[in-house]
Amino acid sequence: MLEIKPIFNAMRRSKAGAIMLLIQIAITTAIVSNASFIIYDRVQYLQQETGYPEDEIFHFAVQTFGKDVDLSQQFELTETTLRNIPGVINAVAMQEIPLSGGGSASSFGINPTSDQGRQGREVRSAYTYGDEHALETMGVDLIEGRNFNQNEVIIAQNRDVLPTVAIVSKTFLEEIFPEGDGLGQTIYLGDMPLKIIGVVGKMMGPWLKDSRPDNLIVIPFVNAGVYQKVLVRADPEQRAQVMGQIEDILLKEYDQRVVVNLNGMDESKRRYNASDILMLRMLVVLITVLVLVTALGIFGLTVFNINKRTRQIGTRRALGARKSAIVRYFMVENGIICIAGLVIGSAAAVYMGTALLEHYSLPALDHSYIGMTAIFVLVVSLLSVLVPANRAANISPSVATRSI
Amino acid sequence: MILHYLDLSWRSLKRTPLISALMIAAIAVGIGITMTSLSVYHMMSMDPIPQKSDRLFQPQLNTMDDGQTWWTEDDLPYQITYNDAMNLYNAPIPERKVLSMRTGFSVHMNSSEVKPFLQGARVTGRDFFAMFDLDFVYGGTWSESQEREVVPVVVISTELNEKLFGGQNSVGKQIYLDDTSYEIVGVTEPWDIHIKYYDLNNGAFSNREEMFIPYSMIAAKELNSWGNTNGWKYQEINNYQDRLQSEQFWLQFWVELNSPEEEQEYREFLTAYLEEQGKRGRYSREKVQFALRDVNEWLDYNNVVSEDNRVLVGLSFMFLTVCLANILGLLLGKFLRRAPEVGVRRALGASKRQIFLQHLVEVSVLGLLGGLLGIGIAQLGLWGVRQTYSYYNALATMDLTMLLAAPSIAIGACIIAGLYPAWLVCRTTPAIYLKTQ
Repeated sequence: MLEIKPIFNAMRRSKAGAIMLLIQIAITTAIVSNASFIIYDRVQYLQQETGYPEDEIFHFAVQTFGKDVDLSQQFELTETTLRNIPGVINAVAMQEIPLSGGGSASSFGINPTSDQGRQGREVRSAYTYGDEHALETMGVDLIEGRNFNQNEVIIAQNRDVLPTVAIVSKTFLEEIFPEGDGLGQTIYLGDMPLKIIGVVGKMMGPWLKDSRPDNLIVIPFVNAGVYQKVLVRADPEQRAQVMGQIEDILLKEYDQRVVVNLNGMDESKRRYNASDILMLRMLVVLITVLVLVTALGIFGLTVFNINKRTRQIGTRRALGARKSAIVRYFMVENGIICIAGLVIGSAAAVYMGTALLEHYSLPALDHSYIGMTAIFVLVVSLLSVLVPANRAANISPSVATRSI
Repeated sequence: MILHYLDLSWRSLKRTPLISALMIAAIAVGIGITMTSLSVYHMMSMDPIPQKSDRLFQPQLNTMDDGQTWWTEDDLPYQITYNDAMNLYNAPIPERKVLSMRTGFSVHMNSSEVKPFLQGARVTGRDFFAMFDLDFVYGGTWSESQEREVVPVVVISTELNEKLFGGQNSVGKQIYLDDTSYEIVGVTEPWDIHIKYYDLNNGAFSNREEMFIPYSMIAAKELNSWGNTNGWKYQEINNYQDRLQSEQFWLQFWVELNSPEEEQEYREFLTAYLEEQGKRGRYSREKVQFALRDVNEWLDYNNVVSEDNRVLVGLSFMFLTVCLANILGLLLGKFLRRAPEVGVRRALGASKRQIFLQHLVEVSVLGLLGGLLGIGIAQLGLWGVRQTYSYYNALATMDLTMLLAAPSIAIGACIIAGLYPAWLVCRTTPAIYLKTQ
């Protein structure tokens, strides 16, 4: 019915063209399935929920060179100034900015550290100092426990009085107290005890690529530095406008300082992830162009075959072949090559996936991607044949009778 | 003869415009994509200081207790402690060595003309400029006594000099860094490096510092590092003095060793130094461990060329292969259809060799056209890379090597693709085709 045998025999007479097509389809399948899987993996990473309303938050840093003020007191003032700007929801001087790629981390234990080291479980977590406004400014919600009281927030320029409580992310709590009774327990940063008084469902730390990206601890301490970071949350529509005024407003309040690194949270996250975004874009362009080139190649080769066989096609038509038989001939011919290419290509894709997994820190290739790619390549390849094959079907039988 | 072949190829291209265009487009796209990723790779993996990269070394010391691990392949920390940095700096050998660290200040002129701004600064030794081949436009580095006696002096870059003094000779003038006035002693020439190899803490391609001040300012001004500070054991740190004496790693150290003998001598020195430190009970280690890596080894060790980039280069070469298979298929069809014509030429006396050459010239022309078009596509690609993030501005460009490489790769690839079709067609036996006509 499909006349596979004569088609196959005809193909054996011009092997090279068929083999080239097969190689193209095989490599295309291998690349597209692996690349689309990497793309999927990166998209998942880039679009993950961080817990923050990223389009509402922005941050900046203040470098103070004036020596005539108490920095912590100055920043209490600055916070108030910021909160009074129309459009600002809340503002807080923080030690570290979430998702920014820069921060502090330490191991926290269920026992204090002594000269002999630490006994018992310890878990690595990012941490930041902030006050009772931190949670609202970050736009995260407590799922258990309570926020800091004003008297728990230590405002100081030295470390004589230390904070005694902390609010932690749920992921951290579950890791350090797997029994689920973490709220109210005490953890130690070095030998500094901190009682867990609140739990936030989701707040990611400064490094999305950390091995523990979801661990973050907020400690109620205002110990403003010469270089101090500030986090502000504003109405998303007014954020750009508020950001535009920040420098002037702050310098008007006190001018012995410099405002730097003013960025939206979404922007600094994009910057942290620039290499992933770049990889994503390059891969998308690569596979789009690749499929296009392969499709054009199939198209060109079929056009050539048809030109070469004009007289044979005319003869077949003169002998009574229907137009559909001509189209079918080319479709089946291409189909055979394509399927052979896909089989080899799938094997190559699996091999390539393993190699990438082995040499680079890429996740293991999900084999369903090979299947989907194979179907896609088959459809593209048949479509590329369809156009020239239809043209071939319109060759008039009289062509066969002409001598040249 | 070549000219004649070129003429023939041009006619041949024009005879089958659609197929020729397809082939040229395929090469152009293949080269465009490949050159985009290859250019970025090339810039990332380039030797930043080729004339002396094998003479500059970064010593890494293991001053941790046995059993402590680090996240490097050989468990050595990237940086060293303040005490070690000072000891190595004050050691008799080698002649040139520097400790260095990134910090920053608000820069102002104590007047309202220049609005204060924040600027990164490098705290380092006076030999920094000589070691890293950074020349001066005005003035020079600070003296040994200025370094020792903590005199507030600063070397600024041409860019900063342009910004503050309009490019005038500013040696002798004062600028304020935070609350201290520093005297400018030198202005450096523009520094044409795009890999910040001497300090990779803030990213290999991040901005360089525009100011340099003597290392003795670290303790005098209690400067904070703008890079990384890492510790491995718990130590109570309540003031800056505690920090200086602590086992935290936060300084970089470079030495210049001009011969294998000097290198050997320095290795022995480091062994002796570490043994002595161990004896003093600073750490408990069975045997000393250190490493001495030169610039390129250091870049390798820090994985400056990202994995993603290697994967991309690999993928784009596979992509180029697909384009070549594509072209090979098309060339086969095109050349074989020309068999009758070739038969006549053979009958008229053209040798197989000449026919073969003629066809190779034709594919080279294809390659050249595709390669040139490919440079255009690669420029578009690199523009796209630069749009992603300004961090890539210096990296996403094609230097002369890459501009020349593009057509070379294109022509080379096309000749490889053309070999088989050209060989097939030059075997044509004239008799068959002469008979039918």
